[in-house]
Amino acid sequence: MLLQQLVNGLTLGAVYTLVALGFSLVMGVLGILNLAVAELFMLGGYVGLTLMLDGQPLLVGLGAAALFTGLLGVMVERVAYQPLRNAPPIAPLLSTLGFSVIFQTVATNVWGSDPLLLPPELMDERYRIGSISLGKPQLVVMATAVGLVTALALVMRHTRFGYGLRAIAENRDVARLLGVPAPLVTSGAFALSGAMAGVAGVLIGLHYGALTPFVGVEVGLKAIAVMVVGGTTSIWGVLLAGPLLGVLEVMTVAFGGAAFRDMTVYGLMILTLLLRPQGLLGRASGAQRV
Amino acid sequence: MTFSRRSLLATPALLLARPAVSQARFAGLEVKLGAIVPSSGPFAEWGRTNTVALRMVEEQVNAAGGIGGAKLSIAIYDDAARPAQAANLVRKLADDDKVLAIAGPLTSSACEVAFPVANQAKLVACSQASSKPGTAAANRPWAFRNTIDEAVLMKTSLPWFKRSYSVDTIAIIYDAKDANSVALGSRIMPEMLKENGIRLLNEGSLATFNTGDIDVSAQITALKALNPSALVVAADYSQAVTVLREMRRQGFIKPIIGGTPLISSAILRAAPEIPVVSCATYYAGQTGEKVQRFTNALQPRLRATAGLPPTIEPSMYDAHMAEIVGMYTDAVLRGGLTLKPADLESDREKLRAHLEKLSGYEGLSGPIHFAATGDAVKVFFTVVGQNGSWTEKLRGCSTSGSLTC
Amino acid sequence: MISSYAAGLLAEIGIASIAALSVHLILAVGQLSLGNAAFMACGAYTASVLSVEHAVPIPLAIAAGAVVSGVLGLIVGFPALRLRGIYLAMATLGFGEMTRSFFLSLDATGGAAGYSGMQRVSLIGIWAWALPLLVLVLIAERSRLWLALNAVRDDETAARLLGLNTVALKLGAFTAAAALAGIAGGLFAHWHIFIEPGAFSLDRSTEMVLAVVLGGSTVALGPFFGAAALALAPEALRFIADWRLAAFGALLIVILLLRPQGIIDKRLLRALKP
Repeated sequence: MLLQQLVNGLTLGAVYTLVALGFSLVMGVLGILNLAVAELFMLGGYVGLTLMLDGQPLLVGLGAAALFTGLLGVMVERVAYQPLRNAPPIAPLLSTLGFSVIFQTVATNVWGSDPLLLPPELMDERYRIGSISLGKPQLVVMATAVGLVTALALVMRHTRFGYGLRAIAENRDVARLLGVPAPLVTSGAFALSGAMAGVAGVLIGLHYGALTPFVGVEVGLKAIAVMVVGGTTSIWGVLLAGPLLGVLEVMTVAFGGAAFRDMTVYGLMILTLLLRPQGLLGRASGAQRV
Repeated sequence: MTFSRRSLLATPALLLARPAVSQARFAGLEVKLGAIVPSSGPFAEWGRTNTVALRMVEEQVNAAGGIGGAKLSIAIYDDAARPAQAANLVRKLADDDKVLAIAGPLTSSACEVAFPVANQAKLVACSQASSKPGTAAANRPWAFRNTIDEAVLMKTSLPWFKRSYSVDTIAIIYDAKDANSVALGSRIMPEMLKENGIRLLNEGSLATFNTGDIDVSAQITALKALNPSALVVAADYSQAVTVLREMRRQGFIKPIIGGTPLISSAILRAAPEIPVVSCATYYAGQTGEKVQRFTNALQPRLRATAGLPPTIEPSMYDAHMAEIVGMYTDAVLRGGLTLKPADLESDREKLRAHLEKLSGYEGLSGPIHFAATGDAVKVFFTVVGQNGSWTEKLRGCSTSGSLTC
Repeated sequence: MISSYAAGLLAEIGIASIAALSVHLILAVGQLSLGNAAFMACGAYTASVLSVEHAVPIPLAIAAGAVVSGVLGLIVGFPALRLRGIYLAMATLGFGEMTRSFFLSLDATGGAAGYSGMQRVSLIGIWAWALPLLVLVLIAERSRLWLALNAVRDDETAARLLGLNTVALKLGAFTAAAALAGIAGGLFAHWHIFIEPGAFSLDRSTEMVLAVVLGGSTVALGPFFGAAALALAPEALRFIADWRLAAFGALLIVILLLRPQGIIDKRLLRALKP
């Protein structure tokens, strides 16, 4: 049972990692907590699953969801972030919250407040390794989490886009002087963050086989905790912190009771903020930025 | 408690609005009722189908000549399932809209805050869905609920469940954030399992989760390791769907039993092979002349409504709403109300007195009375949901003292 | 006589205004809290238990709730000194969720089932707290103390060099803010005469922040105006039915874009003066 719980925790961790990536990219570079990410994750799930229910293959669902939420990410950036770039960080935080509310209502009105259910057969492919039972979607979620983090880390390190992002993260004005097209790169960051949230939504919807318009809030809060623990400036951090919090949560539930779960998860987040504000893998200087 | 099917079918199916009594004695007057439903937020679907059901009843009553000649008009407001909004809407309906009585609010949280206001305003409020134990009883005399206490229902369902699925051991999982589920999962069920001689395997460490959780894998793995012969799931259906899906994913196929909030068409699709045993006072697919007429009239309207899924079916709470309006109508016709604006206060009191001693009123599946707790005494069914549909297994009545169905 | 519906809305505005003032106070030193609902919960539960189980008169019970809340604020304030901006916002968010979780598992106050048995305060009873508190904050805003608070907000290092005790100022602001939220909580409990942990969720905390940001955070009239706007908006938007919440979100964005400093600011107040 312990092994199975470990697998449960790692899967949940991969789920958190996927959503945290969306938060982390914008937070790490621009210092903005884009709350709409949680809802982009939910919308991506709806778009992808609706297409799959319509008989489209997984890849089409993923692609459409990523495109859709990526574009919405740019919209959020243009409307809610760009004009408020020089306002205190609370202003874009609240304007992205405005988008959250809108996206939730849209989902409720388009798909209804009842859970959207995938046909149970889609969840049936299971592998048994000894006493552990693993579903195919579960494996896909974990593999994608690792894959996306690696891909994003590579993009950050080796592409012009990544170079631009890192330059802006250090100093926007200097970056512009160096010839980085700041507005374009910023939009790119929001688009990428939205697209990743969308992909996460489809995979997580597939894994659990159900979605509601309110799924973003709960997962989103946990993903923020994961981002903080991993370090907002570190892409690799979420890959470490996601499974850490996932396993911690599952073990608390299994051996302590669900009542203590939120205490442990948010407790760890607060402790990290106080004792190691840069997070597990973050650079010390990044956390000074406010 | 339970009784034969035949005696019930023998009762004549009367129309909701009882046009038999309608003379035109209220011609030119208006019966103004209020309704509070959650049309936005997490229970939007229920609120929206409630609205369609209310508009249908309103239309039907008026097309049949109104209530003794008086036109029925229902002011419907959305509380977004927010208690504070529900409380203010009671004030609005009482003072500004000057309604005779209110149908709603839906959630127990909203009722907890809105019922005291109804008491203060001396205005009847009857919830279509709240089943948290004691919520109406704490707010007498003006609070009513057209629902049955979960404990009463379980008393009938559990022995049947035990017999039918040879249940000797069981485990409990409940939604710790939802008051009604906490009451059922942590108080009512452990006691009742003991009475029925079913061994509770996770006594002292009941499994819980929170509303909104998407992952209950840890809980299900732990429950599966106990190897019970069945499971109690105390949660509303949208949360229970998560539990059922996880059970299926982990190959933990055991019958489950739970409260009325499990009844929905969504739960049937979550894990079709897992039998879901619960109680209902109405379910889509229920037979009976009056109830089928209701379902057949409402379903196409629901499906034609924008913002509702094309496969939607009438919910238990739509049936309750229609019955509440029917009861208020019955009070107008037989309770000695004058409908004169000057008599509003005494009309409200007469309506309340009529409900308190309600007799001879036929709901969709049989007569409805109100117990001293403000909760309904009415017929209910133990149903099993499996392979995509509900099957009725048993009929019962929430008898209270001398009141019975 | 006003209708009881209007009275109900006015009561809510009164309570929400006090809650918003608590965020306003923290913002005065440049701090952002997304966990003030926790202080409100603390005040609400303390006041309710005192008035229900120990027959303490309501105003006294509310005051006691404010004290307990304030002490909690002081305790939370110490670690909060280490954090700023969005990081403090996230930490307080976590603190809010933990507090809600705590009350959810606290059987003594009913857990998820909630707590009731309080006597209802009147509308006048609510404003008897709200008005003096507003006046108090308005007076404080003209004092040297407020200048000191704003100095900490604008540049903490410079403020320290000027000889200001920035630690005391920040802790004081946090404590007073927690006490204010506690009062709002006590009034909330005795107005709705039923409380449950779900009433003090993240939604409540963001509502408080929204009231301040929408109304304007530079003068105390702003939070009052914002609280009123937030209480009335859902009612005013009823005509769009199913899209009510979306319209609220859109309105929020539009106001933030048009007036990032909030609807009420000093310039507007000056312009309105005859």
